Amino acid sequence: MNSIAEQIADFLKKYSPFDHLTFQELAEIASNIRVLNLEKNKTLFQINDTLHDSFYIIATGTIHLSVIADAEETLLSKCHEGDIFGLRPFFAKNNYKMTAKAREESIIYAIPIAVFRPFVANNPDVLDVLLENFAKGSNNLTDNENGNGKHHSATGYYSDQQTGIQFFQSLSYNISPIKALKSDPVHSIAQLMAESLVNSAIVCENNIPVGIVTHTDLCSKIATGRFPITTTVDTIMSSPVVTVVENVSLAEAQLLMLRNNVTHLCVTEDGTNKSIVKGVISEHDLIVAQANNPGVLIKEVKRAQAPKDLIQIRKNLADLIQKSIQKNIPLTHINNIVSEINFAILKRAVELSILEIGSPPARFAWLCIGSQARKEQLLLTDQNSILVFEDVTPEKYREVKDYFLNLAKRTTSILEKVGYKLSENGYVGSNILWCKSQTDWLKQYNSWINNPGENSNNLSSIFFDFDIVYGESKIFETLINEVYKNAVNNTLFFDYLGNDALRKNSPLSFFKKFNVEEEGPNKDKFDIKTLALMPLIDGARLFDLSFNLKGINNTYVRFKQLAMTDSKNAEIYLDCAEAFLTLSKFRTLEGIKNENSGQYINLEELSKIDKEKLKNSLAPMKELEELIKSKFKLTQFS
Amino acid sequence: MLDWLKNINKEYPEFWKIYLSKFEAKSKRYVVLSTETSGLSVEKDVILGIGAFAVVDDCIVIGDSFETYVLQYKFLHENKISNDFIIETHMKKLGEADAIISLIDFIGNATIVGHHVDFDVEIINAALERMDCGRLKNEALDIDIMYRKLHDITDQQFSLEELSGFFKIPVNDRVSSTEDAYNIGLLFLKLKSRLGIK
Repeated sequence: MNSIAEQIADFLKKYSPFDHLTFQELAEIASNIRVLNLEKNKTLFQINDTLHDSFYIIATGTIHLSVIADAEETLLSKCHEGDIFGLRPFFAKNNYKMTAKAREESIIYAIPIAVFRPFVANNPDVLDVLLENFAKGSNNLTDNENGNGKHHSATGYYSDQQTGIQFFQSLSYNISPIKALKSDPVHSIAQLMAESLVNSAIVCENNIPVGIVTHTDLCSKIATGRFPITTTVDTIMSSPVVTVVENVSLAEAQLLMLRNNVTHLCVTEDGTNKSIVKGVISEHDLIVAQANNPGVLIKEVKRAQAPKDLIQIRKNLADLIQKSIQKNIPLTHINNIVSEINFAILKRAVELSILEIGSPPARFAWLCIGSQARKEQLLLTDQNSILVFEDVTPEKYREVKDYFLNLAKRTTSILEKVGYKLSENGYVGSNILWCKSQTDWLKQYNSWINNPGENSNNLSSIFFDFDIVYGESKIFETLINEVYKNAVNNTLFFDYLGNDALRKNSPLSFFKKFNVEEEGPNKDKFDIKTLALMPLIDGARLFDLSFNLKGINNTYVRFKQLAMTDSKNAEIYLDCAEAFLTLSKFRTLEGIKNENSGQYINLEELSKIDKEKLKNSLAPMKELEELIKSKFKLTQFS
Repeated sequence: MLDWLKNINKEYPEFWKIYLSKFEAKSKRYVVLSTETSGLSVEKDVILGIGAFAVVDDCIVIGDSFETYVLQYKFLHENKISNDFIIETHMKKLGEADAIISLIDFIGNATIVGHHVDFDVEIINAALERMDCGRLKNEALDIDIMYRKLHDITDQQFSLEELSGFFKIPVNDRVSSTEDAYNIGLLFLKLKSRLGIK
């Protein structure tokens, strides 16, 4: 054993399942490791490659695992330092079902299976971890790898199907369909179908599909007596048969069945009916696959017993978002689904805190403010919230406030564990400033609205986007009514908000170049949040308040609503709505790519087309600015 | 120039004959190598430690490695240098002759890869000469030259630390020849794929 093997053993020791092994055992494994270097975008193995004799653990770098569905690459999971992957050779004999590709330059340790297998056999804990790791990625319970071998999952190795929604969900289907010849008598085929419990048979000539016989055909043509059971298959088969490519997604299969009004699809090698039969997808396969959807996630949230359960759900949610975006599902839909789940998580966090410290001594409402309230939170950004409790007698006040502060602290700390950082400015319910009685809150809002210039340090516009997460909706309604009532025709307040909205720097320079960060860790990157999204968000809120559009929080929906309310400027609003979506998408993609809030866009990584697209979506801001200036006759502060 | 004439009737040690016989076939194996020496003079200085790894099919094979300290009693004694550390370490220790014999056996007909590899090769040659052997026959690749070729730099040399820095490979504080060899190995893999060397 040499000193490098020793170092590698030390490295392995930190990660599961190696932490179950002794140093002596690790040293033996380490001595047999091979070290690989993968350039960025280099593929280690891809779908249908024969299995390697090793599995892999990442020493440095990032590897993306992906599958192909509907002729498009879909990311399954990202592996980072210490993650193991490529476990298939342990459990299955067939070829790889996914592609492993380096997202950045990576150094990988290859651990030969032959060397590692004895440790698995002697150590049930290690086996458990490996199985878990494998199963996590494995399709679902019907992934009959070890079963009768009849089913096969189209994509094989899907990371956490629970989170998948049907647009990109993979399908399990029968890969060894019953094949018949044109000249076979119907009764013998029916016999075969009955024996093998399937409801279709493909009629082939040289393995090329020419027709299909299903239950329906047997019912309508044989059972009715129109043909005798001795007739040959070609007289009753449906022809031509509808064929699809391998790796078809649930949604696509469903559409094809509806369009062609059939109950079965034949999978062929190249998707035409001129190539070899690979399997059959039945309606039943679609139903089985549809058992998973975002509803399941919400259910899971409601059942969560501890913060760590929520952490897992938030992770699954991140996968869901990523896959949805990759599949080009409209951002508004994703937003809706995600904010529902987000709300459920926030709500559960409050509930868990109450379970821990006992029932509240008074009624209260936990409100989220800012992006959460606007239902625009696709990435894990920081948490912003306030707590409002009902008025109590002065002698009880102290005790009640203490309880709620405690409640808020627990809630925010749970959310922190889940991954929502605390707001930089301390805009959270656990802050003594933002945990107040109803009367105090009304006073607070009144002072903000009627004297916006004073104490302006405390006025952040995000306080004007709020929504109820948990508690008494009456309290919430009182608050929101007060805000909108006070805002009506309040010139001073709109002056203030308007100027606040206009104060942001322009996203483009005089020469129509992006204004990028000049220094700091994000040098040369474009701050899409402050320079592009915030002005739109602020603008939408401003008009929303001035037109008294109570109950609409989402920036996109606000612009859409404004286009109806203030129809002579409809075009500007609609442009802004579109721009907002495009910009949010840019930000979300950047955030997913770098696993951060996506605030800073690395322009160098954008294609020329994307850069143009980004630039174009900045155009409506100028018109919005003009509109703000003219509508609110900005003078007081300007 | 006519060195070979001098040696034509010379009887080589057994291990050297085996080494020479390996060159009939071309090897796909690379050996990344780093020597620790008492100084930079090929004549006066001696090898104190050797670390080496095999690279096969674009992988560093951790098990296929060579690591030894070389006990140079005479040199250390004459220069009044303590050899306590070398004696106390649990690493493998060999006398110079044994170390070179094992090393030659390990390298075989592989292509040698090193950082400023000329010096490593020359100091091994010097040791070989003391043992009445010829010079190393292996081809040798230098990662510094590979790097400079990649970036078309002709007027500058880079240290192993600098090269590791360019490729973001962490460098340990206590550098041994084995760790150097491993880092050279990583750099070699990266440079090899960038330069498209098969």
